[in-house]
Order: sequence, then structure tokens, then C-alpha cells
Amino acid sequence: MQDVIQREIIIHATKERIYDSIANPELVVLWFPETLEGDYMVGEQTIFGFGEHGKTSVYIADAKPYEYFSYRWVPGSQHFVGDVLSVANTLVEFRIEELADNCCKVTLTESGFNHLPREFMEASFQQNSGGWEFMIARLGDYFTANK
Amino acid sequence: MIEADIYKALGDPIRLEIIKRLTRGSPYTITELSDNLGISRQGARKQIQVLVSSNLVQLKPQGRETQVILDTATLQIARKFIAKLESQWELRLHALKRLTEDKTQN
Repeated sequence: MQDVIQREIIIHATKERIYDSIANPELVVLWFPETLEGDYMVGEQTIFGFGEHGKTSVYIADAKPYEYFSYRWVPGSQHFVGDVLSVANTLVEFRIEELADNCCKVTLTESGFNHLPREFMEASFQQNSGGWEFMIARLGDYFTANK
Repeated sequence: MIEADIYKALGDPIRLEIIKRLTRGSPYTITELSDNLGISRQGARKQIQVLVSSNLVQLKPQGRETQVILDTATLQIARKFIAKLESQWELRLHALKRLTEDKTQN
């Protein structure tokens, strides 16, 4: 099956600003998890909180200021809290490439789906998964807050 | 892409023939499936293994034989799972874009 997800987006901002928004614990909660517990540092396990939809452990794998940040987690709505490295997980990587002044390409890669057991993916659908709805709600909050 | 994997797996006349036989319904053993393919049993086994790797078929040991089963369910589940994660990432990246491009912040 497909092992990798890759998505790209062009962002009109500096690579420093984009990197900080991903790697700085105070900024990442503005667009991704709602809360963050623990040290958000390479080699540490942090817990992302998604409000009422639960919490997910994240192992910070690597960080190279202004161009690369990666972590491992258990994807989908099967929120897993515990030692991420002890279970089947995926690697999430952000790559920032400066194209021009104040313009960067951000490439998101998530890989390792081949290791996930089928039952796991199945459960992710049977459970009333809130990930999607949660993101929509968060985006809505964001737009309203910035009007 | 999963579709690409499927097409790649099916992009061989022997493998396509194997799948065609399996879609007729009745379960086949590896031995039955290898008959009249015009290749050696060893070769047939190899092609079946390619289909297993692509999750198109599953192998189920049955006594001294092994049954080959067409597995479309796994494919569909995997595709749905991946598609959902892809749209989540799409949304998250847009949220990141909004935040970082917003001049009123920072």
C-alpha cells in the first residue's frame, strides 16, 4: 500500500517565521494542537492535546533551524499516549525551502504507513473520529479571531 | 499512490491473469493458480508474491496448501485512511499558511 503522504504549500513568509511556527511550542499551538505538554525538544516526547478529541504522544525526532523539523507519532484518530517508539508509528517531516524573498515552499511528508496494522486503520474509521471536525472548528476559530 | 501500486502490480500479463482468475470467485490454492500460466511454478509463486506485497491478495495457509484470496477490503480501507490523513494535512498546512502570512501577528 501507499507508504508516504506528501503535501506542499507555498507560504509568503520568511523561513524563520515558518520554522518558528512549527518548532516553537508557543506558536505551534496556534495552528496545530490546541495544547502541548512536556519538552518540545529533539529526543523528547511531548503530548499534543486536541481538546475534547484527546491527546497524542509525539516524539521529536529532529530539528534543524529554519529548514527541517520532524517527529514520530501514531496517526489517525487512535490517539495514543505513551512511548511512541514502542508502537507502530509514522514519521512526520516538515521541510522549508526558500524560493524567494519572503516566499517559501513547505513540504510535509508523513511516512511509514506500511508498518501500520490493518486493524489499526480499520479502527480509525469505526471510531467516531474527531480529527477532521476538530480541524475545521479550529480553522473557524482562527478566521473569526482575525476578523 | 495506491492506484499506482495497483496498476504496477497489474501491469504484467501473468499477474493480470492471476487476478482475473481470482475475481471469478472460487478460492484458489497456489498450486491451482499456478497451472496453465505458461511459466514455472517458481515464477508463478514470485508473481503471486508481488500481488501480496501490493495487498491485492492475501495468502491463507490451509493444511499443506496455501489459499490465495483476493483482498479488495484492505485496499479500500487503506485508501480511505490515507485519503483522510491527506485532507487533514491539507487543512493543517493552510492553517500554518494563514498564521505565518498574517501581518497582524508577530
